[in-house]
Amino acid sequence: MREVVTIQVGSYANFIGSHFWNFQDELLGLAEDPQSNEVFKSHHLDMDVLYRSGETPQGILTYTPRLVSVDFQGSLGSMSSRGTLYNDIPPVQSDVVTWTGNISTHATERRTKNLFLQSLYEEEQKRLGMENGVNGGKNDSEGEIQDKDIVECLQDGVQNWTDFSKVHYHPRSLYELTGLGMDIGEFESYGIGRDAFSEALRGEEINERLRFFMEECDHIQGIQFMVDDSGGFSGVAAEFLENIVDEYTNVPMLLYTVRSPGSYINLTSRKQTISHSLHDAISFAKLSSLCKLIVPIGLPSPSKTSRFLSIKDEKPYYSSAIYASALHSISLPFRMEPLGPSAESLYISGAVDINGVIQMLAGQARHNSVAILDVAMPAPPLSGEQVEQSLLGNLQTLTPGTADNVEDLQAVESMTVHGAIGSGGQQASVSEVKDRVQDAYENALARPMFSHLSVARCPLPIPLPFPSIFGNLVSQNGELLSSPISGSRSRGSLDVHSIPMAARLRSSAAVLPFLEKRLGNLRRFGIERVALGTEIVRSWGFGQEEVEDIGETLSKMVTTLDPRSQVSSDSD
Amino acid sequence: MSLQVLNPNAEVLNKSAALHMSINAAKGLQDVLKSNLGPKGTIKMLVGGAGDIKLTKDGNTLLKEMQIKNPTANLIARTAVAQDDISGDGTTSTVIFIGELMKQAERYIDEGMHPRVLVDGFEIAKRATLQFLDKFKTPVVMGDEPDKEILKMVARTTLRTKLYEALADQLTDIVVNAVLCIRKPEEGIDLFMVEIMHMRHKFDVDTRLVEGLVLDHGSRHPDMKRRAENCYILTCNVSLEYEKSEINAGFFYSNAEQREAMVAAERRSVDERVKKIIDLKNKVCLGNENNFVVINQKGIDPPSLDLLARAGIIALRRAKKRNMERLVLACGGEAVNSVGDITPDSLGWAGLVYEHVLGEEKYTFVENVKNPCSCTILIKGPNDHTIAQIKDAVRDGLRAVKNTIEDESVVLGAGAFEVAARQYLINEVKRSVQGRAQLGVEAFADALLVVPKTLAENSGLDTQDVIISLTGEHDRGNVVGLNQHTGEPIDPQMEGIFDNYSVKRQIINSGPVIASQLLLVDEFIRAGHNMRKPN
Repeated sequence: MREVVTIQVGSYANFIGSHFWNFQDELLGLAEDPQSNEVFKSHHLDMDVLYRSGETPQGILTYTPRLVSVDFQGSLGSMSSRGTLYNDIPPVQSDVVTWTGNISTHATERRTKNLFLQSLYEEEQKRLGMENGVNGGKNDSEGEIQDKDIVECLQDGVQNWTDFSKVHYHPRSLYELTGLGMDIGEFESYGIGRDAFSEALRGEEINERLRFFMEECDHIQGIQFMVDDSGGFSGVAAEFLENIVDEYTNVPMLLYTVRSPGSYINLTSRKQTISHSLHDAISFAKLSSLCKLIVPIGLPSPSKTSRFLSIKDEKPYYSSAIYASALHSISLPFRMEPLGPSAESLYISGAVDINGVIQMLAGQARHNSVAILDVAMPAPPLSGEQVEQSLLGNLQTLTPGTADNVEDLQAVESMTVHGAIGSGGQQASVSEVKDRVQDAYENALARPMFSHLSVARCPLPIPLPFPSIFGNLVSQNGELLSSPISGSRSRGSLDVHSIPMAARLRSSAAVLPFLEKRLGNLRRFGIERVALGTEIVRSWGFGQEEVEDIGETLSKMVTTLDPRSQVSSDSD
Repeated sequence: MSLQVLNPNAEVLNKSAALHMSINAAKGLQDVLKSNLGPKGTIKMLVGGAGDIKLTKDGNTLLKEMQIKNPTANLIARTAVAQDDISGDGTTSTVIFIGELMKQAERYIDEGMHPRVLVDGFEIAKRATLQFLDKFKTPVVMGDEPDKEILKMVARTTLRTKLYEALADQLTDIVVNAVLCIRKPEEGIDLFMVEIMHMRHKFDVDTRLVEGLVLDHGSRHPDMKRRAENCYILTCNVSLEYEKSEINAGFFYSNAEQREAMVAAERRSVDERVKKIIDLKNKVCLGNENNFVVINQKGIDPPSLDLLARAGIIALRRAKKRNMERLVLACGGEAVNSVGDITPDSLGWAGLVYEHVLGEEKYTFVENVKNPCSCTILIKGPNDHTIAQIKDAVRDGLRAVKNTIEDESVVLGAGAFEVAARQYLINEVKRSVQGRAQLGVEAFADALLVVPKTLAENSGLDTQDVIISLTGEHDRGNVVGLNQHTGEPIDPQMEGIFDNYSVKRQIINSGPVIASQLLLVDEFIRAGHNMRKPN
């Protein structure tokens, strides 16, 4: 077993993470549920890779994510940063044992649990009651919260990522940045974030928390790191990464930089525009220099991703669900038991670890460390006439600012397809998927130099708190219909129970515009002799030379992909 | 106004409105923190939106917890927090001193005085007070054997403002001994060499000093001993796990044998490193009953743990980076970065190593070391907020002891210094000043009294009575402070109430600077925001 530790830094990263862990929780639940489908009961995925077993001081066994999450103070809503599992002390106990003098209590208004969290809580109490032999099910019918109401209350009522989380977290997992002494709106640049990490022993505490999870890993496979790099959290993450690289030198790291649609708002003042452009350039260059593979994700308008989905761009609860689904798919091969070269499994195929993916995408001759994430959600059925175009054509990129239809002979891809539907609307077998995908590649117009395929039979389960993002062309098990189902336009977890997925990481020259934009902005605002942003960059603590180094890093990344572009700083 | 032409959304508060906004913010902040001050202050329990509890009597913690929006208040808060960063204490005093300076200034400004004149007076008074402080302080000789009693008194003064007496007194010895343990002649004191570790314990509130180290993890092998006496300690930063090297990415093998061979080769190099350690163990433990403990900053994987366990070695992996340094200071030997050059000389020594398990939490105690230059303060408490509060208090206590050693002097507490300085300013300095700046000096002098006043107020005493009796005693030439129980004057020297010189100095230094800056602000401009609207 090869453990993976997950790190989520920043608000949007935690929204994505919350969905991600909900999928895992759903998988765990379905595996134990006697009524669930056979593909869920034997999904042949090793959940221990992402989860740890623990024990409370009372000796109750726990199973919680190997996770370190960093967010603002107050971002946890009604959830305690210690989680609920390890709280042996009744919350009413408030005896102050350290002071005999006066006590004054300052209570923030208690955050009320929403309907969903209430129902979780009640379920838990009931289960505890049953375990203790107390029959608590007397007036069930009265207080029962209807699933329909829950789904409805979440659609518009989600404020924090904890509002729709059904996962129990370890007390060391959730870290809040306290005492920043500023508004959330002001925490917007790389420089501020970097200072926040080093001040007041915050960095020390965050490192300690990671060490707790790392120490118990017998043989760590790698770290998957998600950071919301649109504001100060990119600085926090960069400092954190630097420590990780220092301390856990050879642990492979897969870094996702994520952005909410909200971070693309049009800025009014010129100064803000410059500041944001510089932030984007510096944050990307800094983060990418600290890892071997970086995957930027987050479109300005994810609602345009697929015609099968209907997403409200302004709500992070909606858009984060797509990204989380894609990350879930990408992480499946990390959890497959590697088989011998000749062995075949009916359930999974193509196991590869984090290091394998990184080597494949970034370690090839070209050493391009930026990958593009594509997803087909739901994946189209693998039957019918135009399978070939359909599967590859349905993959929509989630990386912003990439070029379409780029011919790149050196492209490398790693794709995961799971739960695909084959001919006759049945679950496709692993070998069928493999054959079909191979056909698709062979008939494709532009073929990558190398591609790796991982297949699992287990589709993406849709947990109850999943947003209603499916259009009326998606059936209960995720089939794409030719004629719309009558009824409401958007369908959620009550109508759709699972969907097939295909997701792909791609190292391709299509990412060039993304890089060139950052390089161009950095040169224009930060490096040129009379650059407008020199002051801003200086206020973040970068000297001129440092900025030039960063420019150098970026331009190297560009030339890696496009040797023809001999852009030097003079000719620009 | 011209600004409005440039930006119609900009909002401007000018002259008196700006000044009063600053003054009100400073007073507001003062009101919040005032009740913290002194051993009779009020402890604050902060209950978060999710029911999380935080206990604090520390101005610094409180300021960090408050989401301060007002720009003036924010400026003051940051100064106060910086005060804590520099000297480890005095946050509350800084805030109430700035508040009081603003309050005094308000009186004069309302009578039509220009802030500039006041500010000049503040400057004169500040310099005079700092000079006075240097004369007033009690020098302490810190030779090779520092005067433990003085250190204890300073630590006790700080701790009693944060914890109840019995608990504070228990901690006093612990923090003094901890600092003396890590103190090295001719070198600055690095408080990080004192590890602060905590354990949750059902009922107990208990703190003890471990001369040695407590690590928050244990060995990861079932066959390793849980308790061992007479141990050699190997402190190292060597990877003892099989990692795929980068060149052999392990992705494209032409056949299974090749893969196996590659894996085997890489495994072998790890095993060799483990073997080097085992060889050393066999060498030093030959013919005696001694034990061998490896504490590694890097990982140790199960096969390596197996090998080590079979050789009777106890091994801990992924130790804190800082513990590498602490271990060497506590046990001796040296931190080794490669097993190639380990010799018996690189080993440290501990009389006792044992593991303590609480649920999933494991602790390893490394005790009975020879010449500890690093130690651990172990805090036990029933819940997180109690532990956190004791931890904060311990940190403050450590800083107070460190400051005393570095300052080589202390200042009489219980308000004695403030009253003395005030009398000095009024009776001597003010007379030597020409013109209206005199009033600035007077305002400053009166502002100093906020400390004894607040102490009295928090004890439920009549502030007027207290101030009159204190100033009276001072005029008679007796340096006295306030007895918080009776309101009578006491001699702080007799009672052992001492404050840090550097803390006092810092307060006197930064308070007037911030107050002056705020007083000289005559315009607030903020684009696109409404300052008057409460939100």
